[in-house]
This record gives sequence, C-alpha cells and structure tokens, in this order.
Amino acid sequence: MVRIQKRLLIPLLGATLLTATGTTTWALEFHGRSSTQYLWFNSVFNGKKQAEFAQLLSFALTDIDKEKKFSVHGYGRISQDVMNGDGFDGRLFYFYADYRDLFDKIDIRAGRQFVNYAAGSALVDGGMVDLKNVGPIAFSVMGGRNVLYGIDRELTRAGDTVFGAAATLVGYPATDAEISYFLKQDSNGVARETIGAMFRQYLFGGLKLYGNLRFSTASETFEEVLGGVKYFVNENLVVTGEWFQSYPTFDYTSIYSIFAVDRYQEGSFRADYTINDMFAIRGAYKRQDFGEMTVGDVFEAGLKVRPIPNLMIDLAYDRRQGYAGSLDGVTLDVQYDHTPNLQLAGGMAYDVYIKDRMTNRTTSQSYWLGTRYKLDKNMSFDLRVQDNVDVWKFKHDWSGRVAFNYDF
Amino acid sequence: MKKVFFICALLIYGLLVFQQQQSSAEKMSHKEYANMPLKDCNECHKAQGIPLSHDNDWAGKHHQNTDWMGEHRALAGKAGGNCNECHTQAFCSDCHTGGGVDVELRKVTFKRNYMPKNHRSDFISIHPIKAKDNPQTCTRCHNQRYCSDCHVRFPKGSLRIKSHNPLGSNGQKYWALDHSTEARRNLQSCQTCHPTGDVCIKCHSSGKVRPHPRNFKAGNFRDKTNGKMCLKCHLPGTF
Repeated sequence: MVRIQKRLLIPLLGATLLTATGTTTWALEFHGRSSTQYLWFNSVFNGKKQAEFAQLLSFALTDIDKEKKFSVHGYGRISQDVMNGDGFDGRLFYFYADYRDLFDKIDIRAGRQFVNYAAGSALVDGGMVDLKNVGPIAFSVMGGRNVLYGIDRELTRAGDTVFGAAATLVGYPATDAEISYFLKQDSNGVARETIGAMFRQYLFGGLKLYGNLRFSTASETFEEVLGGVKYFVNENLVVTGEWFQSYPTFDYTSIYSIFAVDRYQEGSFRADYTINDMFAIRGAYKRQDFGEMTVGDVFEAGLKVRPIPNLMIDLAYDRRQGYAGSLDGVTLDVQYDHTPNLQLAGGMAYDVYIKDRMTNRTTSQSYWLGTRYKLDKNMSFDLRVQDNVDVWKFKHDWSGRVAFNYDF
Repeated sequence: MKKVFFICALLIYGLLVFQQQQSSAEKMSHKEYANMPLKDCNECHKAQGIPLSHDNDWAGKHHQNTDWMGEHRALAGKAGGNCNECHTQAFCSDCHTGGGVDVELRKVTFKRNYMPKNHRSDFISIHPIKAKDNPQTCTRCHNQRYCSDCHVRFPKGSLRIKSHNPLGSNGQKYWALDHSTEARRNLQSCQTCHPTGDVCIKCHSSGKVRPHPRNFKAGNFRDKTNGKMCLKCHLPGTF
C-alpha cells in the first residue's frame, strides 16, 4: 500500500518541479497553489510534541490540446516529522486526467478523484464516464479502487472497490433530479448496495424544495431521508425547514449490520436575517428523536457585526441538551483587514459539556490568533497559533502552522 | 378519497413545475463569475428573484455550528451540480478527505489536516457527544475504519462509557440495564472499540439472545456476503 502511495506521489513531485521552472514555457496553462508549511501540535497518541514540514500542491494543467478539451488536475501533500519520529507521510487527494466533450456527448475522467452520487460518495482510483446531450436524461458511471484514509495513514485493503451509476434530469432550469446506484465491495463480498435519489425544485423565484434519500437493498430500509424547504422571504430574510431520518448503517460484511437499531429523526428550523450592511442575525432550533422516547434539543443564536467595512465580528451561542449529553458554549471570530495586504484575526471557543450521567461538567476552551501577509498578488505568509486549555493530557495544548503560499 | 387527494396534489404540483419551467431562463454557466466575491452574487440572485445557492449556511461556510442543514448534499449532487465551474475538487476534499492548501485563518488544523467548523473547540474532548448526536454526520466523511484506527491505539477500558462502568462497590455494572438501548441508538460507538463484534457474539450468537430486527431480511445478507457473515454465528446449512 505504501508503495502505491509513493508511486502516486511521483507525479506530484514532478508537478512541483514544473512549478519551479515557470508556467509560460509551454503553450499550456498551468495554475494552482503551492503551500509550504511548518506545523506543530501535540500527538494525541503519545502526548509528545510533533513538528512537521509539509508541502502541499494543487494544480490544473489545461489547454493541452487545441480544442482545450483535455486537462489534468492534482492535489497532494507530502510531510516529514522532525520531532516525534512519525517520519514521512504522503497523501494524494486527487490526480486525474479529464477529457470533455468527446463527440460532444461524453466526458471521461480517469485517475484518483472524488465522486459524489445521491446514493453514495467515495474517493476512487478509477474512472468516471458521463454521457450527455442525448435527451432530457444524462448518464454517468464510475468505478475503481475505494481509497480510505485514517488519521495518519491509508486504510484501504485489498478488495476495496466501488462502482456506481446515475441518471440525471437535464435541461430543466428550475428542476434537478437524480437516481443513482452505489455498490461498495470488500474482500468479504458486497459491503453496501444503495439506491439513492436527489431532488431539487425552485418555485416562484423564492422557494426551494429539496430532498435526498438512500435505500439499502439488503435491509430494504431507507438508510437516510432528507426533505427540506427554503423560503427567501425577501432580500434579507431566509427561512429553512428540514426533516431528516436515518438508521445507523453498516457494511453488510460487518457483524453489526444484522443488529436491530433505532430510527433517528430530526426536525430543524432556521432563520437568517441581514438587518443591514453592519448587522446580521440568525437563530435555529433542532428537535432530535433517538427513539424509545429519547430526545434532544439544540438551539443556536448568532450575530455577525461589521462596525467598519474591514472588521468582522462573528459571535455564536449554542446550547444542546437531552440524550447524549449537554453542550453549552460560545464561539467568537474576529477578522480585521488592517491593510489590503495585512489581515489580523483571532477567536475563541468556550464550551461547557457533560457527556452523560457518569461525568461531571467539563470545559473545553480554545483560543487562537492568526495573521496573513500578502507579499504580492501571488505570494502570502500565514501564521496561526492555537491553545486548547485543560484538555486531554495537556494543561495547554499548543498547536499552529506557518505557511508560505504561492499562487501560479 | 386519499387517492383522489393524492392525484389532485400531484396535478397541482405538475402544473406549478410546468409554469416554473416555462418562465425560467436556461440554466447559465457561472464560470466567468468564479472569482467574484460572494456578496456580489446578490446583484442577480436577490434582485432578480433567483434563489440563492450559497446562502448563509451553505455547508456551514459562514457559521460556527455547521451541523444544521443537509441542503448542500442536494446542491452538490450530480444533477444540476455546477460546482466545478468555480471550485476545484480541493474545495470538496479539504472537508471530506483532509488537506488544507487554501484555508482561511480561522480554520483549525488537526495534525496535518484542516477540520471543518463543526469540529468545534477541542474536538477530541467533545466528539463523543457529537458522534451520538447524529452518527450519519460522521460517516459522511469518515469510514468506520477511521474511528477504529484511532480507538484501537488506546487501552481498552480507558474510555468512559456508562454501560461499562461500575454501579457500586461490588462492581455491579449498568450493563444488563443499559447496553441494549445504548447499542440500538448508537451501534457505531460499539463498533469503534469492538470492530469485529467478537464481544457481541458471546451472547448474541445462534441459540442465544436474538439480535436481528423483526423484519430482518436474512436472505439478502446471506446472498451479498456469500454467507460469510451468517457463519460467524450459525452453522453451515442452518441459515
């Protein structure tokens, strides 16, 4: 697995070199961002300080052919720990070749990519083919190796694959609809087989209805159902209502898939009101039903203030109570654009929580400061430092990052 | 009567949709607006009665608590999905698979990866509450292996779970009373520390306490896994 990962990183390194040699040598267009970072944090596994150098690169190589149909896109990261012995790490988020409008009907994408159907989403090493301009329905198929990541390593195993297909409605400006199929396999057989549907309808210029559902063919139940309505009352007021239900679901190849579980449901309501250029407020309420007469209530209230155009203050209060514990907290973010090139920012979060009857009230606090300085329109420096107070094994859990970003 | 009502409702809805389609212009490309500040989108999207897509809480972009709305699932779907006219896949993957090449200052990183804003304050401390809140929210981005991969590195028994804790001085546990309801509501939590389910099978295998739901479709599970799952508890030929 590691060998595969390193092999995939070679193109990333090559692209980095291309960046260094300039972008105008060929007729090609080569754009993206390189971010060279130094990060430090405490390891949750052994409590020791960890420090890493990381190189991130995201790029798009376009205009490869005369008709500008072919392009290559990539995004990856390599990092080296210099303090805690975690060593070298690499992660390829995507790297794919994209050919569009073959015979004006077919789009082909090959390589590592993120795919998303109503029935399921995955990061795949494989391909996706879209068939379009064949009437009011467009079609899509995808498949490949199912790439899974853990906190600090890839967790893909032999036999992990996904396959999917979708049919979507096209040509109706106010209506979007999709029916799709998602098949996930591992070494023990079919792990998931899901039929999904998505629907979105705009009405009267200010009303939107939407929904999403997933049906499991093994348990013959709707794993997830989402229905929502959004109403734009006027230019400044948006209200949203949603209902969602789900069952805890597992791969069919897991023993947990055969256990009885309770249905989870929630209904939520939200209002966002922009009073003027200076003030915006929001409020939301969610009712959660975990089954067996067990419920939870969640509230949120927020205020966004811009006392002067280059200062933004965002304050939010959240309260959760009921099953699964309580959480009561505030968050504050402040951002100040001192000059067009210098941005200063800071914030905090203060939460009081109780996990269940066995634990006492505990606080979770975090405080952070950051600054961004633009050297010119292509280059910038970021510095961000955060302190989490009295958490886990640490009285002060300091972490941060310094980044040099280059847009090309 | 119900059928008549349903047919009438369907007809009215169909007429509304037809009227809407007739009055709408063709869906346009947004590529040329890709670098425009979001607030400037309102010039069209508010003034001309076009519904906003990137409204205030789209995926929690502008808010602190991002668990609120699932709307962006529908927006980012294959149908009508024009996200790639403005965004690269990095925009999706920074939240869904990690990364952080283009993060704002207020965004937190955990180890090497950017964390979405719904991972508030010290998320390691409060994630048990969030994981019970709506477990499907976790699995949208994290495979179950992600949870086990971390929890397996801590000694068993070091995490506080109500049904696992002593009730009194004699060491009696809440187990018999509470574990079944805990499991039915949040079975993912059990799998996190017991990924193979070996501890469950001790009591829930064939001939003991039946774990299946009332309408359990045994044949479906047998067929999809070639009986491998069934064999964990049942003898060959008995299922």
